[in-house]
Amino acid sequence: MLLSLCIMAVLSSSSSSNLLLLLLMSSLDWLSTPGSAFFMGRHRVMSPAPLEPHITECVSRDQVTFQCWWSPGNFHNLSSPGELRLFYIKKDSPASEWKECPEYVHSNRECFFDIAHTSIWIPYCMQLRSQNNITYYNEEDCFTVENIVRPDPPGSLNWTLLNISPSGLNYDVMVNWEAPPSADVGAGWMRIEYEIQYRARNTTKWEALEMQPQTQQTIFGLHIGKEYEVHIRCRMQAFTKFGEFSDSLFIQVPSKESPFPLTLVLVFGIVGILLLAVIIVASQQHRLLMILLPPVPAPKIKGIDPELLKKGKLDELNFILSDGGMGGLPTYATDFYQDEPCVEFIEVAVEDPDTGEKEDTQGSDTQKLLELSQPVSQHMNIGFSNVVSFPDDDSGRASCYDPDLDTLLLMASLLPGQPEDGEASFDVVKRAPAPERGAGPLVHTRTGGPQTWVNTDFYAQVSNVMPTGGVVLSPGQQLRIQESTSGTAEEETRKKEKEPKGGEDGEEEKDKELQFQLLLVDREGGGGAAEGNAWQVGVPQSSPMPGDGYTIHPQPADTKPAATAADNPSPYILPDSPQSQFFARVADYTVVQEVDSQHSLLLNPPPLQSPPPCLPQHPLKALPAMPVGYVTPDLLGNLSP
Amino acid sequence: MHLVSVMQQGVWAVMLWHNLLASSIPLDCREEQGILSRCPSISQEKLLDRVIQHAELIYRVSKESCSLYEVMFIPLPLQFQRNRAGSACITKTLPVPSSKNEIQQISDKWLLHSVLMLVQSWIEPLDYLQTSLDRYDDTPETLLNKTKWVSEKLISLEQGVVVLIRKMLDEGMLTINHSEQGLLPNDVQPQMLESVMWDYALLSCFKKDAHKMETFLKLLKCRQTDRYNCS
Repeated sequence: MLLSLCIMAVLSSSSSSNLLLLLLMSSLDWLSTPGSAFFMGRHRVMSPAPLEPHITECVSRDQVTFQCWWSPGNFHNLSSPGELRLFYIKKDSPASEWKECPEYVHSNRECFFDIAHTSIWIPYCMQLRSQNNITYYNEEDCFTVENIVRPDPPGSLNWTLLNISPSGLNYDVMVNWEAPPSADVGAGWMRIEYEIQYRARNTTKWEALEMQPQTQQTIFGLHIGKEYEVHIRCRMQAFTKFGEFSDSLFIQVPSKESPFPLTLVLVFGIVGILLLAVIIVASQQHRLLMILLPPVPAPKIKGIDPELLKKGKLDELNFILSDGGMGGLPTYATDFYQDEPCVEFIEVAVEDPDTGEKEDTQGSDTQKLLELSQPVSQHMNIGFSNVVSFPDDDSGRASCYDPDLDTLLLMASLLPGQPEDGEASFDVVKRAPAPERGAGPLVHTRTGGPQTWVNTDFYAQVSNVMPTGGVVLSPGQQLRIQESTSGTAEEETRKKEKEPKGGEDGEEEKDKELQFQLLLVDREGGGGAAEGNAWQVGVPQSSPMPGDGYTIHPQPADTKPAATAADNPSPYILPDSPQSQFFARVADYTVVQEVDSQHSLLLNPPPLQSPPPCLPQHPLKALPAMPVGYVTPDLLGNLSP
Repeated sequence: MHLVSVMQQGVWAVMLWHNLLASSIPLDCREEQGILSRCPSISQEKLLDRVIQHAELIYRVSKESCSLYEVMFIPLPLQFQRNRAGSACITKTLPVPSSKNEIQQISDKWLLHSVLMLVQSWIEPLDYLQTSLDRYDDTPETLLNKTKWVSEKLISLEQGVVVLIRKMLDEGMLTINHSEQGLLPNDVQPQMLESVMWDYALLSCFKKDAHKMETFLKLLKCRQTDRYNCS
């Protein structure tokens, strides 16, 4: 039946995989046949179906003879000897036929094939027949003799001590034995390899060493004092079936007492070393700490309690820095860091209260940078000595700070007093908020009065660059202060606007779309400079100057000195042109595109015809309060415009 | 049956003797005049040892190939078919001894010749096996390498055995003539039609014959070294 299935499968399918599938399916019922237990060896679970008589196993010990055993299964009526007969066929020619067992051993239900009836490398098949010629045959009970060889176990196990380890705890042993006498290894008839297994006395798990064909093997790493059990089994090389295990061999090497002092010495030595190390560490604790854990530099400002520099205490810090509490940082500040010899301090510059009539003594750096200790004369050349007076204390910069040339030039261009031509137009890049409503003297650069800066931001945004090379800053913070005065200033602005139109040669007024004024006010100047010139910022469109920008051209004093002064006691404000809304906000930081030959920064060289780029920010727009000097990263996010 | 086997052996003997007279391919250094020193000579024992090593290795690798093949291509229940398939081995008809008794009775010469017959009869089928394995989609690379290796080693084994025959038995040159021996059987049983099973049978048969070769050679060695103790 199965055969026909196979044939059908072969004929019906063309691809190998299909055939295999079919064969697999058809062969599934083969699994249940009991005879397959023969070849599966001992691994299979017998099916619970009623067992018919079957061959249990066939084994050869020496590849010369072999035996087969059978079992009647559940057919107990067949269990008496002689009821079942064993037949075999040797398929060495097509004309072979079934023959009966040459030698029965009925007590064992065994059939013995002697040397005359044993052929190697030729397939045998076994069959059981009952008296009434019922045949119990399983196609899988076929084998070749070399595949069923299970050699006898080796004999004469013996062991010798090889060596003992220096610690006296382990030893190696050489085990030797003899090949099984039935296996004709000497003649080369069988190639045998051996497997040694050993275990300690009271354990259950055997350790197995690698198989090898020699009749001796070394076991390494046995423990002194323990008893070991060793047994060996063998099989034909490159075959799979093992023989039985040999009898066990017992190995033991008694332990000696001499290792005792050695371990004691070791233990004491280690303890002593540890103690020594602890003592050394304890005595040199400080030095070690200094070497291993050098102090981490943290922001340390002289005179300020380090507690304030921690996170979350920014307000207090600002308060202190702005001289809120103590009237400025004390010159001899409390030495908070006396115990740390390697601290580098950041020193905050202490403002000299006399230098400027400033209300706001925050001491912004811009102010200092731009402040001129000397009056700026009209015919001033840009000399570096006049340009800046850097406060040279270490306000946040490295002590080796070298104001390099470019920076200086930049600074110079930022400052008033860069007479390009004779027209005494200053490029003023100053801005000052109108500190309060009401009067504030006008700054005039002519006289070069002290120009003090009030509440200027540390970072000033360059709004535009004059064609003459001046850089115009946009007002930032002071806008909110100017809010209040915007109303009054507006009309003044308007007046102002009209004036240049009248006063000037008109070259400017025609083309001006916008006129605005930047006001530089000396807050505390009082009325001293009241008659000073008012700065006016006009958009220099008419002029041949390329580029737009804010330019603060001080009107020549002779044009309208008095009028302005009289009319405008109040500080000017920022431009409030009707077109102010037209312009978008200026970015706080503009990319400097290039520096032209006159060392002025060209931010966005705009096209000629375009309207003036931008306005200073609308008065109503306010920047968040920028802390001076100390910006923490979490505040940084608020600063972006 | 006895008569048949004797006749078979006679046929084989005739074929071999015929080969002896044909022109031969020199396999190792010829002792011609003046060219004695061209190649190093090897002692007979050493040569026999090497031949035995070859045979052992060939058997081991063939066994591994068979296992690989089984795992890849043959479902579990069909693996037991191999012994039935053993009846269809292509070298069935060769007159080689198949039991210890027979081996004890035959001479050294016949033992060596049996080995040679076996070796020569497998060279061609192994080539066929190689091409057949190449045709499958998912033959593992290791299996292909092993079968290739076995083919090569078999050829060198043949050369070694030929030299051995010449040295040990003082026989003349033998030709290596494979084309005459077309041993692929005609009586292929139906379930062997499928190429997979056929190759499986081929591999199993070759494994068996490799073991046979190895055993014969070892017995031969025993006889050479210590004739009286060998069984």
